[in-house]
Amino acid sequence: MRLGRPNAIVYGVVTGILAVAAQVFFGVTRPSAYGVCMACHGQEVADWTVNTFAGTHLQVGSLSRSFPLLTTVGVLLGAALASVRNREFRRQPGGGSRLVPLLLGGAIGVAALTALGCPTRIWLRVAYGEPLAVIGVGGLLAGIAAGTLLLRWRAG
Amino acid sequence: MMLEPVLATLVIGIVIGYVGQRSRMCFVGGLRDFLLVRDSELLRGLLAFFVTAWVGFSLVHFLEPDRLSAETGGHRAAGLALDPAGVLHWFGSIEAPVAYVGLTAGAAFLLGLLSVLANGCPFRQHVLAAQGSSSATFYLVGFYGGMVLYGFFIGRFLLGLVTG
Repeated sequence: MRLGRPNAIVYGVVTGILAVAAQVFFGVTRPSAYGVCMACHGQEVADWTVNTFAGTHLQVGSLSRSFPLLTTVGVLLGAALASVRNREFRRQPGGGSRLVPLLLGGAIGVAALTALGCPTRIWLRVAYGEPLAVIGVGGLLAGIAAGTLLLRWRAG
Repeated sequence: MMLEPVLATLVIGIVIGYVGQRSRMCFVGGLRDFLLVRDSELLRGLLAFFVTAWVGFSLVHFLEPDRLSAETGGHRAAGLALDPAGVLHWFGSIEAPVAYVGLTAGAAFLLGLLSVLANGCPFRQHVLAAQGSSSATFYLVGFYGGMVLYGFFIGRFLLGLVTG
């Protein structure tokens, strides 16, 4: 990483290794293929936080009973660190884009949980050999293609 | 208290967050960029991830056949509690009702479509927010809010739709 800009392949290999390692060496074992997922782990953090401060009893993964899995927090920290170190941090003034991203984010969160994972985890589950994930990834790719078509159509 | 997974995932998150920011990686950007402008950089990153994970899992399974299946007592679908037999099946049968499969596939389709419109997969949005993007920050508010609502009633509603 000190030798210039890492490319996407570097990211892929690193994350692939870490996702498997998390399950095999670091106890992230339930459910399977759970090493990295922004939606699932994000849900654990959010639900744990709500449970802790509001006394609710949202169902939380078995690994997150005492303290939640912190993948998403780590990503925020790591990315912030990288952008500050490389002077790419730019506080962007709140333009008009508030409601649409908010609603999109909400819909995507719900969709990801129903699809049993964010795109990262869907691919991870396919790599693990989960048949349901193969169907899921097909849906994902179709959706991406459809979305891309929409973008192209909108751009005229 | 099991601290190990918590610490491990924090460190893993930091590492992939850092590399992710530097590499501009995005899991839906791969196909999108390729379809739009024939740019295959992100797609190669996606492939690299898949192949690496696949090789990794295969290696573990080869060296210690019971390692992966013994630890997982069942698939807990995040958000929808369902327990098909939790054994590692390579191209095995899908033990889930058709409606459930349809819902999952449909949700994945929506996930892909909306993520393209949002200009990034959830991972990318976290990275963008960490870089200071305010629209990505609002995305995250909605993202986490939606997932909390999911825990409260959306998940159960969907499960009821599929099994009722």
